[in-house]
Amino acid sequence: MSAPVDVAPPGIELVGRRPILGDAPEILFRLAPGDRSLVSAGEAIVAGTTIAERLRDAAVVGLGAAATPDDARAGDRWTTSDRSAARVIGRSGARLRGGGDAEGGELLYEHDGRWAIAAGEHPEPVDCPVTGVVRDVRPGVGIRVRAQGRALYGVEALGDPASGRLSLGTDRGDQRHGRLRPTSLDVGLAGTILVIGSRVDAEALTRARAMGVRGVIVSGLAGKERRDYLASESRQRAALHRLPPFGVLVLDGAVRRPIAGPIAAVLETLSGLTVAITIDPPAIVFDHPELAIQPAAEGHVRVRAGEHAGAEGRWAGPAGVRRFAGGTDLEAGWVVLDGEAPIPIPIADLERFG
Amino acid sequence: MTADPRAFLAVDVGGATSSVAIIGRIAHRWRLVGSLAMPASTPVDAIAVELIRRVAASDPGLAVAIGLTDGGRPVDAETMAAELPRLLGRSAPRRALLALAVSARALGPIADAARKTGWRTSTAQLDGTDPLKLTNRILDPSVDVLLVGAGDPPGADERRRLSELAGIVAGAVARRPDLTVLLAGAMADHLGRLEASSGVRPANRPGELLLAPAATTGDPPGAPLRELLDEVRGGADDPRRAAGRITSALADVLDRRVEVIEIGFDGGLRATASPGIGGEESQAIVSIAADAALLPPDPDDATVDRVLAWMTTPIDRHRLRDRLRELRLWPWSGIAGDGARLRLAAARAAMAILVDATPEQSALPTPDVVVVSGGAFAVAPGPAIALAVADVLRRPGATSIAYDHARVLGALGVIPDASERRQALIDLVDDVLTPLGTVVIPAGIRAGTSAGRLTVHAETGSSETELVPGALEVVDLPPGDVATAEFSFRDTVRLGSRGRRFAVDVSGGLGGLLVDLRDVPLRLPDRLDRRRELLDAWQESLWLTRDR
Repeated sequence: MSAPVDVAPPGIELVGRRPILGDAPEILFRLAPGDRSLVSAGEAIVAGTTIAERLRDAAVVGLGAAATPDDARAGDRWTTSDRSAARVIGRSGARLRGGGDAEGGELLYEHDGRWAIAAGEHPEPVDCPVTGVVRDVRPGVGIRVRAQGRALYGVEALGDPASGRLSLGTDRGDQRHGRLRPTSLDVGLAGTILVIGSRVDAEALTRARAMGVRGVIVSGLAGKERRDYLASESRQRAALHRLPPFGVLVLDGAVRRPIAGPIAAVLETLSGLTVAITIDPPAIVFDHPELAIQPAAEGHVRVRAGEHAGAEGRWAGPAGVRRFAGGTDLEAGWVVLDGEAPIPIPIADLERFG
Repeated sequence: MTADPRAFLAVDVGGATSSVAIIGRIAHRWRLVGSLAMPASTPVDAIAVELIRRVAASDPGLAVAIGLTDGGRPVDAETMAAELPRLLGRSAPRRALLALAVSARALGPIADAARKTGWRTSTAQLDGTDPLKLTNRILDPSVDVLLVGAGDPPGADERRRLSELAGIVAGAVARRPDLTVLLAGAMADHLGRLEASSGVRPANRPGELLLAPAATTGDPPGAPLRELLDEVRGGADDPRRAAGRITSALADVLDRRVEVIEIGFDGGLRATASPGIGGEESQAIVSIAADAALLPPDPDDATVDRVLAWMTTPIDRHRLRDRLRELRLWPWSGIAGDGARLRLAAARAAMAILVDATPEQSALPTPDVVVVSGGAFAVAPGPAIALAVADVLRRPGATSIAYDHARVLGALGVIPDASERRQALIDLVDDVLTPLGTVVIPAGIRAGTSAGRLTVHAETGSSETELVPGALEVVDLPPGDVATAEFSFRDTVRLGSRGRRFAVDVSGGLGGLLVDLRDVPLRLPDRLDRRRELLDAWQESLWLTRDR
């Protein structure tokens, strides 16, 4: 990383700013009709709390005309021990499910004076990986939780929200440029969230999940690997015995590039601490107020794309319109890389952090 | 600054691009003094400051003339940028609409109306769909607006299940009070049921429950529904919403049939207008298609195929998919090298979607002027843009192509007063439209060694060119020059009318005069490598700034 600069260099405002850290976000846990919320708005929860039950095989079940009270509303829970009140109008074989003597589901819609409910078997717990406050619960839509702490945002997250101890690994050298190979994974990494560096493939992700790793943070995830992983994830969801939640956070995009220095510095600071990966929005959330994280030096820029992609240096001022490879004329800025003489780089290829 | 400003900023804030132009009053006319476009991540104020600095540095006299001074002292760009009046056009954010009906027959017209008014549209029908899946679709938090439609009166195929559909919608609306619901046609009869199910007074409900006309009413059919959908999409200062006004004004000012094609980050636009006749105001036809965005949020296989079909560099599908995902995430990054060509290939694919989505506008007479706009073209050389338009908009005739390089038209469109807008356009039209050239496309050229001869009579002299079937002939004609192109074809062709001999007035541009003797519509080899070679050969002559 380049040396700190006290005064903002001229023209640095032209470089788009990418915030590194923000307040912890409001996290959405999506619910489908039939899923059951176990929390209510305003409730304070700690990390690991089971906040909902998600139905794996929900189906529509029609109720008899007298099976519901007059003030029934869509989204209400409905329970009864009277099986004869229900008749299946959806997928054949769907059964009502409940605890004790009651069986039930969620009121879906009313038609011709009869209600249909969403009900089914095989509920699966939904755990909240962060501490926070439940802001909103909407049956069939989702639960919103205001997380406590701070967040480092990525561009995309796949899988499920998960938490674990952040691990930079020990044998991969510079974690900014690292690549995760399936063979380098073992059960000793179970319960961790791994910072991979620049590249990971679907096979390594699948193996990591099988080994009990709780999540992976990577700079770039290629489209093919993304698609293969999502297919594997879909098969896993369909399996009878699910593995613990596993999340993948992509920091930059789809092509290979090292993790940005200022972001890597944050991850190094968090190494060994418990963090959570959230899917909506895609972020790492952590609640360690004691941690002091230094902002990137004013004037520090990173080249996001092009010939010098991944390089980081110091902004030295606007360079005006320049012609670049391919014959395109682009607004450029002078950037000092590795202490060499400044070179012009398209401003649109640069980003700064703050 | 005086009370009567001599300069203002025209600002266009798009999904991926922010553009600032300084418009100054010079010799009793508004003139474009300078402009600067940057990624949307760059603050508009920073762009304005840099632009003012450049104007002041490059021509201090001009800066003084348009009032960019601080009491005679050297200009303080930051203060000036904050003080200058701004004309702001801001693209409305991308919004998603779910069109819902009982049957596919009823769904078609309402989905079509939504697709032409800028909504990212998905569809669902009750017939053949599990009510649970349907409810899930409605409850998806990414859906902003629900359009539920039925015929008025409802058709026999939908009458029986309308009540069930209303029940499902009412059940979903009760859970999502934030959802705006439009009930079109006979669905309006179920408003009371939805109001009752929402459980809150309409005034306290964040989303709205609105009645909409049926998709088949109005002249042309669907126009009133489209108007309402456009209003609901919102964006009072959205340049796309103002496109009809500025296109009509442009047609009147130029006294030509005008078509505006805009490809942006979140949608594409096609607006067509002819000059008003007999003192009547010009009327524009406007279609806004979210599907014609430079790229969809998550480029799928179909998108990869569409862009790959226009690529001139060899690239495998996986790598192209990654490049497109990156282009969507960071639309201004990686332009150097072959990035500009990739963007233009994506722009061609988007234009093709736009043209496919607007057949009624394609059926209109060939426009005299096509104005190209939008961030998709921001970094491409002018002649390459002209060829991209000729590749996709294949209508026989002669068309001048111009480029809204400073993105000022959108901002001018949001001027509410028609006469002010027209006056500003009269002053600025020559500055804001960069002439890219004239494209002449004759249809009906037969294969052979020669299609005929072209003689161009320009002020600087005459030139003759042999016309080869299937080729692109480029005649150098600089911006500002006008000429007469005399065509003598071997066989009868269509060029406005049918005939063998034509004399066409043409105007110059960065790409000169482009005589396009390729097929109408364009036919390309199925094999990708041969297709690529052919596209590259055509573009080679027009990518004039290509670095080798």
